[in-house]
Amino acid sequence: MKSTLEFPLFGRRPLVLQKDSAPVGFLRDRPVWNLPNSPQGRFRILLVLIAIGVAILLLRLFAVQITEHEKYLRLANGNILRIVPLPPLRGPILDRNGEILVSNNMNFAVSIIQFGLKDDEDLVMDRLSRDLGVPVGMIEDTFDKVRDVLPPYLPIPVLSHLTIPQLARVQMDLWRLHGVVIQAIPDRHYMKGDLAAHLLGYVGSLSVADMKNSYARHFPPGTGIGKTGLEKQYDALLQGTPGEDRNLVNSQGDVVKKLDPTLPTEGHALKLTIDWRLQKVAEDALGDRKGAVVALDPRNGQVLVLASHPSYDPNQVSGTMSRQLWSSLLSDPRRPLSDRAIQGLYPPGSVFKIVTTMAGLDTGAIDPSRPFFCNGILRLHGWDFHDWKKGGHGHIHLRKAIMQSCDIFFYRAGMEIGPDKMASMARTFGLGAKTGIDLPSESTGTVPDRKWKKKRFGQPWYPGESLPFAIGQGYLTVTPLEMARLMAVVATQGLLVTPHLLMNAPAGSDKTVKTGLPLEHFGPVREGLWEVVNNPTGTGRPVKMKRMEIAGKTGTAQVISNRGPAHHKIRAHSWFVGFAPFSDPRIVVAVLIENGGDGGDTAGPVARQVFKTYYEDYLEAKAAPTLTERK
Amino acid sequence: MQGTVPAGYILRSNRLFLIVILLMIVLGLVTQYSIDWHLAFRQGVWALAGIGLFWICLLIPYKVFLEKSPYIYGILLVLLLLVRFAGHESHGARRWLGVGPIMIQPSEFMKLALLLLLVTLFGREAASDGLRVGRILMAAALTMVPAYLVSKQPDLGTALGLVFTLVIFLILRGVRSHTFFLTFLASVTALPVAWQLIWTHLHSFQKDRIRTFLNPEADPTGLGYHTLQSMVAVGSGGFLGQGIHGATQVKFRYLPGASTDFAFAVFSEEWGFLGAFLLIALNVMIVWYGFDTANSSRDPAGFLLASGLTGVFGLSFLINAGMVVGVLPVVGIPMPFMSYGGSALLMTMVGLALIVNVRLREKG
Repeated sequence: MKSTLEFPLFGRRPLVLQKDSAPVGFLRDRPVWNLPNSPQGRFRILLVLIAIGVAILLLRLFAVQITEHEKYLRLANGNILRIVPLPPLRGPILDRNGEILVSNNMNFAVSIIQFGLKDDEDLVMDRLSRDLGVPVGMIEDTFDKVRDVLPPYLPIPVLSHLTIPQLARVQMDLWRLHGVVIQAIPDRHYMKGDLAAHLLGYVGSLSVADMKNSYARHFPPGTGIGKTGLEKQYDALLQGTPGEDRNLVNSQGDVVKKLDPTLPTEGHALKLTIDWRLQKVAEDALGDRKGAVVALDPRNGQVLVLASHPSYDPNQVSGTMSRQLWSSLLSDPRRPLSDRAIQGLYPPGSVFKIVTTMAGLDTGAIDPSRPFFCNGILRLHGWDFHDWKKGGHGHIHLRKAIMQSCDIFFYRAGMEIGPDKMASMARTFGLGAKTGIDLPSESTGTVPDRKWKKKRFGQPWYPGESLPFAIGQGYLTVTPLEMARLMAVVATQGLLVTPHLLMNAPAGSDKTVKTGLPLEHFGPVREGLWEVVNNPTGTGRPVKMKRMEIAGKTGTAQVISNRGPAHHKIRAHSWFVGFAPFSDPRIVVAVLIENGGDGGDTAGPVARQVFKTYYEDYLEAKAAPTLTERK
Repeated sequence: MQGTVPAGYILRSNRLFLIVILLMIVLGLVTQYSIDWHLAFRQGVWALAGIGLFWICLLIPYKVFLEKSPYIYGILLVLLLLVRFAGHESHGARRWLGVGPIMIQPSEFMKLALLLLLVTLFGREAASDGLRVGRILMAAALTMVPAYLVSKQPDLGTALGLVFTLVIFLILRGVRSHTFFLTFLASVTALPVAWQLIWTHLHSFQKDRIRTFLNPEADPTGLGYHTLQSMVAVGSGGFLGQGIHGATQVKFRYLPGASTDFAFAVFSEEWGFLGAFLLIALNVMIVWYGFDTANSSRDPAGFLLASGLTGVFGLSFLINAGMVVGVLPVVGIPMPFMSYGGSALLMTMVGLALIVNVRLREKG
């Protein structure tokens, strides 16, 4: 038998094999699965083995080099490229005159890069703990918390705010602290201490949750993130873009080559509408009383002052803070963390009479020229409603009723107007809705009406409830900022502005609304408010200034407390809300002092301080000299 | 054509095969060059020596090698003993014999000598009958003596290479079926005992390597480091590779044993899947040529020699590649042509020369 086998691959010579016995040519003539019993047959075993091996090898190479290429490339880059993110400087915050309120301090932190760790990790931790003088458990805890969340080439800060001795010891030891780097991380510095603390907010370290969410995922570890106030509201503007310091390192961790770093870009500077001198005057005037001061420019809604007391020092709260400090702030009965200016909900008291008046003028329940006799008591369904002044105010009309804040006058009007009309007028003045100020977690007051009562308590509105409503008591609650905005409507005779804090607010963000209230209704109200301050018998006479005409309304809001039996002994909240100058209003001020008692006597002087400073800083220089000065 | 063969005929009739060998040498040198040009230079000198030796081994009929195989085996055994007592030590292992600047690793040549001896002693009889137990034991003894010496150097890879050589020979030579089954049964029952013996005699780093193979990613900075870094290098090569200068894993010394055990990883990182595929194709061509030579050989000894050499070559390649891509434990078997090492290269060249030798003299 003859068989011919040609291997065109090798050599030119065609192979001609001659055999007498069984046919040869292992690839062609014999099925592979026959049990091999000749030498030629047996080496098919080897052939099959090698074929299988080659097949496995190719599949494996395909899997590693093509399917999983990305994964291994990333590992390879992690091997050679050490990226140290350069945290950007957070944008500074300035007041309207360019005074720096918030800037950055440099702060050194010790960080660990997981990729840099060798098998002497425990030793490194021990050395680091000795160099820093902190327990090793603390370092490991901080490190372990985030090591699985972050990519292994990112430095993880384990201790910041290093002292110079700590810094020096670590720096000297760095050669044997594999994986440890020292980073300069900017740290927030609140230049004015606790001034405007609530407004500015504070910055906290990136939490594990922050690292996982999409907004903060690409921030370098150790980056601060705004937790409250403007720091939170404008965090994206303030952040800036982190840079990268990129080095090629070899397997020993030595830098082989420095690549061009990408530099961080500083965050945007925030220029505020706040006037820090005015803010300081307001806060000094508040002292350590609980309360809030808001000042607005009624023409455009720029917020000049937004103060809340008691306060805290954001420098101590920002970044890393001690647990004790935090829990003491949280458990303080004076609630220093709450921003009373935008979150405190209080009954507006007599200040609300402005709204009642406007509603009454609208329905005809109030006629400015109609005389009224107040005997100090109103009887309704067998209940007696007293005026704040024993014996009443006698013969009065609208102007005097506002000036002396006569309760009986407004009780009558309220009964006639009814809750729904008063509520809708209150809403026209912006109550019961967010003012839209550019701050997180603003609270909304309650404006009650029949529907609300039904929904809330499942009860109808009782006529007796319209009476306290008319004088700003009962279910009604407002924030100090809402009251300032309300007064701005009166000052501008009909414009409902949106308070805002950013000086160069983007175009189109002005959301001023025309209330459409008739101009002639504002006249009597404004006259009444002028009398409150300027008439010697007005409730707001402590606010009066010689050089600038101020108008406003006092409020002494009864506090109905459901805490403790002695609720009747709790002093009323004092309000003063006003605007100036009377003829061309430039500033609205709202002052609230918790449990301050009489509005004119307690809140009034605080407001006067703000008005006075505003006048001296902004108007005096431009104003024509007065007659006395001319002489 | 039993005696001398004209040179022109050798070149003409095996042109493609010779080109493949030259190409493999060049690829190996390029890979060494990308790691360190000093290595490439030294390996180049060895390659020239290898080509010379290749030619010499073509001119001498392979039967002469077979006749002299007991002497070759004996001399190498003596050399192995010499290594044991007067060898050159490097990296904690005593594997080399130094003659001036030249370092020789006798264990590499032992693989070849063993195969020659086995073929000479057991390959010449009628091949239809399988080997009997007595002869198998003899062959095993001839293998185990050098394997023991080599494993004590320590060089587990080459010792395993010797055992593989025996196994390949037995497969090719054939074993009586009942002998085979008996041996198989005996091996299975003896395995736990043998494993215990082997395990207790392994060096701790050898044990670690085996443990690591079972789970390479458990401790990436420690024991699994070799395998993981090797796979990182291979994987980052991608389809087209990173090129000679872009292969960062080698350049920054992340890959341990880059020039020796993991040279294939370097090659794969530099030339990607495409390059690796090409290299595998070249190796398959050599294996194909070797098996074709064996298949067409009229002389049983020629058949055994050619197919045995081919088997050793192919398995070395596969075991090394399998280790690089993480499917086999790191055992230290070098890849022919790729791994740095003069003795290994010379051995490969002589082996391939003997295959051509058989082809030249045993074909009609």
